[in-house]
Amino acid sequence: MNSLDFLFAYFVFPGLLFAGVVGLLLGGIDRKLTGRMQNRVGPPIWQEFLDVGKLFSKEDITPSAAQGLIFTAAPLVALGSIVAIFLLLPVNSPRPALSSVADLIVIIYLLNIPAICAMLGGYSSACPFGVVGSGRYIAQLLGYELVFILAVLAAALRVGSLSVADVVAYQAGKGWLALQPRLLPAAVAAILAAQGKVLRVPFDIPEAETEIVHGPLTEYSGPKLALFRIAYDIEVFAVAALIVALFFGGPVAHTLDGIYVPGVVSFLIKCFALVLLTTCVRNICARLRIDQALKFFWTFAALLAFISLVSVL
Amino acid sequence: MPRILPTVLKNLFRGPATIKYPRERVEPPERFRGKPVVDKEMCISCGLCVRACPNDAISLDENTKKPRIWLARCIFCGRCAEVCPRKAIKMTKEFELAFYDKSKAVSE
Amino acid sequence: MTFVLPIGPQHPALKEPEHFRVEVKGEEVVDVDVRLGYVHRGIERELARRSFARGLFLSQRVCGICTTHHGLCYCQAVEQLAGVEVPERAEYARTIMAELERIQSHLLWTGVAAHEIGFDTLFMLLWRDRELVMDLRELISGNRVHPSMETLGGVRWDIRPEHELKVERSLKKLEAEVKRYIDLFTSDRTILARCEGVGVLRRQDALELCAVGPTARGSGVPFDVRRDDPYAAYGELEFEVVTEEGQDVLARALVRLREIMESIEIIREAIEAMPKGALRARFPPEVPDGEAVARVEAPRGELLYYVMARGGDKPERVRIRTPTYANLASLKPMLVGSTIADVPIVLASIDPCFSCTDRITVVDVETGASKVVSKLELRRRTS
Repeated sequence: MNSLDFLFAYFVFPGLLFAGVVGLLLGGIDRKLTGRMQNRVGPPIWQEFLDVGKLFSKEDITPSAAQGLIFTAAPLVALGSIVAIFLLLPVNSPRPALSSVADLIVIIYLLNIPAICAMLGGYSSACPFGVVGSGRYIAQLLGYELVFILAVLAAALRVGSLSVADVVAYQAGKGWLALQPRLLPAAVAAILAAQGKVLRVPFDIPEAETEIVHGPLTEYSGPKLALFRIAYDIEVFAVAALIVALFFGGPVAHTLDGIYVPGVVSFLIKCFALVLLTTCVRNICARLRIDQALKFFWTFAALLAFISLVSVL
Repeated sequence: MPRILPTVLKNLFRGPATIKYPRERVEPPERFRGKPVVDKEMCISCGLCVRACPNDAISLDENTKKPRIWLARCIFCGRCAEVCPRKAIKMTKEFELAFYDKSKAVSE
Repeated sequence: MTFVLPIGPQHPALKEPEHFRVEVKGEEVVDVDVRLGYVHRGIERELARRSFARGLFLSQRVCGICTTHHGLCYCQAVEQLAGVEVPERAEYARTIMAELERIQSHLLWTGVAAHEIGFDTLFMLLWRDRELVMDLRELISGNRVHPSMETLGGVRWDIRPEHELKVERSLKKLEAEVKRYIDLFTSDRTILARCEGVGVLRRQDALELCAVGPTARGSGVPFDVRRDDPYAAYGELEFEVVTEEGQDVLARALVRLREIMESIEIIREAIEAMPKGALRARFPPEVPDGEAVARVEAPRGELLYYVMARGGDKPERVRIRTPTYANLASLKPMLVGSTIADVPIVLASIDPCFSCTDRITVVDVETGASKVVSKLELRRRTS
């Protein structure tokens, strides 16, 4: 793949511009729907764009007691890595923009980098709330990551390949993996782990506003906070994209009445449905404590994923 | 199954409970204590309102001897309207009383 | 190694500025220290410089949520001094306004508690229902917050039949919603996970530390000034004192929600039984010498006003003992041993109103503050 194509893929489609716009839009839709569910008007769906734009216009401050280099680098690395994932996910066609041999493992690692950057940001910010938030983030990561990896492994084992392109191609022939009874528990477990990954209630413990102000991001403001916000919103989209690709068929091109509908449309609709589900869950639960969240992940959710894993072996 | 789920889903299809002020307005109830307004004709300059005001927001104008109410001090309690023997002070329903100039925040 | 987590003065968990110095080991709370005084406004001093009639308005503004109870308590103390008897209809009207305030305060609290545990949907829905009560207060008195209905000698406005109709309509709606909230609080798994077994205050501790209000009633201690020392029209009305045996945050929440149901019944009874008659008695411009103590059951617990008159139209001294001050000591057994995640909800479970509380700092500077100052400030100054 030549460098011009790579730059286009990274910065425009399906990289920064596409992922950023869709991610922020999904964030705005989430807030609007949350407002309606709570019987109020809710902000307009482009509110995230306005918020991020406002943050970029503010002064860039680094606390003097913070470790400047890590503090500044954390949001940049987080954003960079989450955008890189979209090069490896099938967005328009079963083949992602960049495909290597075992890209599922690379995707799982890349998905964790924003979390680790948030933690590093929290630790380097020299703030007690940041330290507590980062500690909680690590604990929660141990919880959901296990479940997520087990679920993803189950899907990969069923297909017999660690390449996402192969999984999507398999589903094009045999139907959605989520509809197969052996893999339905894994799909459910993956969605539960996703709720923890994107830090939505009941698992927004690392950023519990009423307990530790903003967790690891407490000392962040201005452009750095804007970068973290964009990274978080894109992370929601990326996690939904991965689950859609692995369990719900991924991008499928259709031809309706002679009109060609590209695969990205079905992909976006499926991602949107998944994000709607997380919004629903986030509005009907209270926040759990970290020990209760860990117990939930390691018993109930892990059991579901394990059942699937064992039944496909 | 969380019991709040049906409520939440129903709310999605109902309109919001918000009254979209300032485009939609609601008429305040009859006893609403808004800006106090002085009827200068009825006033007999007895000064009871000046003494009754808990916050010293009313003073009698030097020339006309009629009450001037400083709205920045007024707590809209309605004592002035209550004690006036001629019912010259009335609590109206006006509540949109933001001013740019404090010296204009007077009711007389 | 213990680590100090500062909760306050600015913190999203606190609705008003206070400072809680929480010492933690990992996630577990080891010790708690309170530092008050951020909302100290010098109200008791001001009350001694204003006439009784003006002082009423200041006493109402001690707190925005329990404003009617502060005004009512002040009125009762001064009426005791002057020997004025309030007409029956006014007593019933005062009772109705007080119970409306209790409903509104408990709905506010439950919304705030839901927000503390991360359940924002419940917070929004509860505050939407609270608007029903605020609209009723506006209808009857002209203002949503600070209705100022009570005055020395009686009440200022009448509750007319058309108001009673609207009150009944809103109460019916409220009753149905609160039943649903009680059901939710007792059955929703995530709420139970955050509230059950958290912030336990044993009955013995509640008695020894003199907890009042729903904080005490949630631990099975049935103190209620409306039953123990009836005022206004409570002596003639039938109602239950709601207690729970759970001793945890959930029990206190259920006490408050069930008290809303009781208050709705009290209002209905009072409207039914309200006799016709005068709305206020004549109040003398000067009050004879003496001391008077009045107690009311504010939404947070027992509120006490001590008024001393030494001639003239101004009080010599007014002392306000608010329920939150009495409940602060109970925070320590509740917090030690729980986790950081529990601190906001436990703090919220005593329904703290620091606007009410901060008149004690002047007195505490000799005894209480010296403890705080010597441990922290001196060490910092001398090192």
